Amino acid sequence: MQATSKKVITRDEWEKKLNDVKIRKEDMNKLVMNFLVTEGYVDAAEKFRTESGTEHIDLATITDRMAVKKAVQSGNVEDAIEKVNDLNPEILDTNPQLFFHLQQQRLIELIRNGKIEEALEFAQEELAPRGEENQSFLEELERTVALLAFEDVKNSPVGDLLDISQRLKTASEVNAAILTSQSHEKDPKLPSLLRMLLWAQNQLDEKAAYPRITDLFTATLEDPFV
Amino acid sequence: MPGSASSTHRPEGLIERLRSAAADGGGGGEAKLKVLRELKNQIIGNRTKKLSYIKLGAVPSVVSILSSASSSADCLLVQCAATIGSFACGVDAGVKAVLDTGAFPHLINLLSHPNEKYLVYSMVGLPHPYSCTLEVGRATLLRIINGIHWLARKKLAKLSCGCLVVDAGARALKMIYQSEVAPKYDFFEEKNMEFLISLLDKNNENVTGLGASIITHSCETNAEQRILGDAGVLKKLIDLLGGTTSQRDASLESFATIVKGNPEVISEFVGPENGRTWGILIELTKDRYPRTRLLACVCLILIKNAAPSYLQSVGIRTKLILVLLELLDDPGQVGDEAVLTLSSFIADDESLQKLAFEANTIDKLCDHMQKELLQAKRLQGIFMTLANLCSNLECCRSIILQSPKALNVITASLTHATVDVRVAACICLKNISRSVKVRSFERACDIVIQISLSIVAKNHLCQYLSAGHFMTEAVIVPLIQLLYDTSTSVQVAALCTISNLVVDFTMHKSLFVQSGGVKQLVQLSKSMDSTVRLNAVWALRNLMFLVDSRCKEGIFMELRALTLTSLVCDPSASVQEQALALVCNLVNGPVDSIEYVFTEDGLLLNAVGRQLWSASKHEVLIQGMYVLCNVASGQEFHKEAVMQQLLPPASNEDNNNTQSIMVTMLQSDVAQLRTAAVWTIVNLTIPTGAGALARVVKLRNAGIVSQLKNMANDPCLDVKLRVRTALQQSMTFGDFST
Repeated sequence: MQATSKKVITRDEWEKKLNDVKIRKEDMNKLVMNFLVTEGYVDAAEKFRTESGTEHIDLATITDRMAVKKAVQSGNVEDAIEKVNDLNPEILDTNPQLFFHLQQQRLIELIRNGKIEEALEFAQEELAPRGEENQSFLEELERTVALLAFEDVKNSPVGDLLDISQRLKTASEVNAAILTSQSHEKDPKLPSLLRMLLWAQNQLDEKAAYPRITDLFTATLEDPFV
Repeated sequence: MPGSASSTHRPEGLIERLRSAAADGGGGGEAKLKVLRELKNQIIGNRTKKLSYIKLGAVPSVVSILSSASSSADCLLVQCAATIGSFACGVDAGVKAVLDTGAFPHLINLLSHPNEKYLVYSMVGLPHPYSCTLEVGRATLLRIINGIHWLARKKLAKLSCGCLVVDAGARALKMIYQSEVAPKYDFFEEKNMEFLISLLDKNNENVTGLGASIITHSCETNAEQRILGDAGVLKKLIDLLGGTTSQRDASLESFATIVKGNPEVISEFVGPENGRTWGILIELTKDRYPRTRLLACVCLILIKNAAPSYLQSVGIRTKLILVLLELLDDPGQVGDEAVLTLSSFIADDESLQKLAFEANTIDKLCDHMQKELLQAKRLQGIFMTLANLCSNLECCRSIILQSPKALNVITASLTHATVDVRVAACICLKNISRSVKVRSFERACDIVIQISLSIVAKNHLCQYLSAGHFMTEAVIVPLIQLLYDTSTSVQVAALCTISNLVVDFTMHKSLFVQSGGVKQLVQLSKSMDSTVRLNAVWALRNLMFLVDSRCKEGIFMELRALTLTSLVCDPSASVQEQALALVCNLVNGPVDSIEYVFTEDGLLLNAVGRQLWSASKHEVLIQGMYVLCNVASGQEFHKEAVMQQLLPPASNEDNNNTQSIMVTMLQSDVAQLRTAAVWTIVNLTIPTGAGALARVVKLRNAGIVSQLKNMANDPCLDVKLRVRTALQQSMTFGDFST
């Protein structure tokens, strides 16, 4: 029978086992800090640092990163590029794809603002040479320039480029590149820890009944279902 | 905003402002900063602009601003270094311009620039907290300073000094050292080594990265690897593997440079018994970052290639193959390099090829190459990996042969714009066509085609047969075109592939001849480049193998006795060997084929005879002997002509002084040469011939028959059996020994 083949672990036993696991407070703090820094919550991180006393982290780099991200999100791509170059000139010099996407975004913004002449000139002078270097850039460029061909751009097959989600996509690409250049991971560790928790529980479900965490928000232990 | 981006950014205008800023000497800080930043933001990431500004002479102006800047003008120094670094990044012309204008020493100076944080403290007139001796005041002071520090940073950020002077200098130098055109660093100079070590010891990832780049760029010889190992550099690099991502990658790269092809350094500093290093490298193959995984694999593979006793574990070997295959999904440089690394990993090692086969490498690569637009390097890597897989294993060849799509991609790449891709596609086709299955199947078809009566049926069958195979005009025509390629390496690769394709299958041969390939083969056999010459002759040799009389005549007409004669006498022994083998195939077959060596007063036969008397390489002698062997299988006067070559009149009468070359060859250590020699004697002494008796007498007088008697128990069975036949034939005329 299936029910009998599974080991049952009661709440008491489980809690006892959990109590035996020691996690250092500093590690927990580092995890929180990692989350705040990666997600760019600079004020929260600053506060958390003074309150928890976690190791010194150069918070200025977050401010700079967030400023770049914000600039792209609000369509000031040229400003964003200058900021990235101040931060670390290597980022755009060694990452042609990112550089192309930023330039592409710049072109999209020019078109959005109806600066058609300027957009054409920019596409020809700045983007066409990149297309010559790389076939996939050329295709993206062609798609972008196609924006100029439609009266009703919003409902055209390339309308998605004008969408705010395109800005967000570019912004997150820059954000990730800056994080990588700072040897910081692109994603915070906390979500992946939660994923690991769920995975481990799923594995364990096959062998035992135990107090599970189903609601991650409250993290309450549910009584084992036998 | 008035004006478009383009009108204010016109290069000429910017250059003018840059020049006047540079002419300003020590002053005009703000203006200088502004124009430098503008230039920097124009060129970063933009190769075309870099080149045009280099042409306009921007680099000397920037370097002049750098050289005249005061050491406290941090922002200016940073902007100069960043701009110079960007000019040097990925553009060799930029590196040259930077070096030519003497920027190098100025950039080196930046590395010893005082720490900016101290500057901030002095700026606000406070002592640094760690230099403060009052224990009580330190905590309070620290708190105040943190505040000031924060403010100062904000201010600096506004002034656009995003990074420290040292970082900017190190980055620029690193960019220079990442270029081929940078000067080599002399590790044998004691001062240089000290400086290098000091770079690696710095607690700054850009500076350690610079150290690593210097090594990667300059370390080439075993002696350089040795001196770096002895100076403890490997150990320092291993320590840096624990640092940031960029430190790790840079260290892995220079680590690879130091261990590459140097078993001595490896046995001393790495390897499984050196547990820590080995363990770290293995661990890094599972790293989160693709580039780190790739570099760790590269290091382990280099260790294995230089010292095959390492990396014996099948588990780790398979793991490396899987990691590299997985990296293929990276669309950029990492994926490109991963597949090239895989190709070099499995080259020349059948057991690794088997492992790669079992890991479904072929399916994965075949899928991958049909998927999207692939860059040249990626295609090259895929073709080379497939070629290596197919160099030995029949199972690999048959999988690819069953995938017409894959074959189409490879064939289409014969006309790719990039040399390396064309070469790789050729090698790939060559190795696939080595297939025994293809060979035997096509040979069977060959026979069927030859006996089939109706031409219509024949054509129909041809189409049907070749549909499943790649040896069609679609392959042959571009391959012949490659013989006209401007790159020698492409020509050689195409020749090798053609050699392989034309060897067995009559249909291939006639297709090749009809497509006009012979003319260019003959042309290439006269090339000044001995590799091209060799492979061209080789291809002709294979083309000549078992070819029908009409084709043979066509080839000979193109080649002519004179050309063949000069190839037989070529300065390169390998060319001689192939040329003799070609002659051998020429005279093989119907008796009238033998006539070819007698044209133009036996020019060719005499050349073969001369080689037999003068050549020292046994490979050449073997082929030469087989030519005579084939000629000796002909009619009476053919046999007599061979006798003339073996026993020239002079030695005939005075055989005490000149030993016949025949005896020398029968005494050779090389069994193949003895076989060829005895076989020739067998052909010369066939008893039915009118002159057989006279020839036996001559051979006996030259001491050849007694030499044969000594060989009755030759260790080589082939030789032994033929010796027996030869002796029996010569005995038919009675034993004259008494």
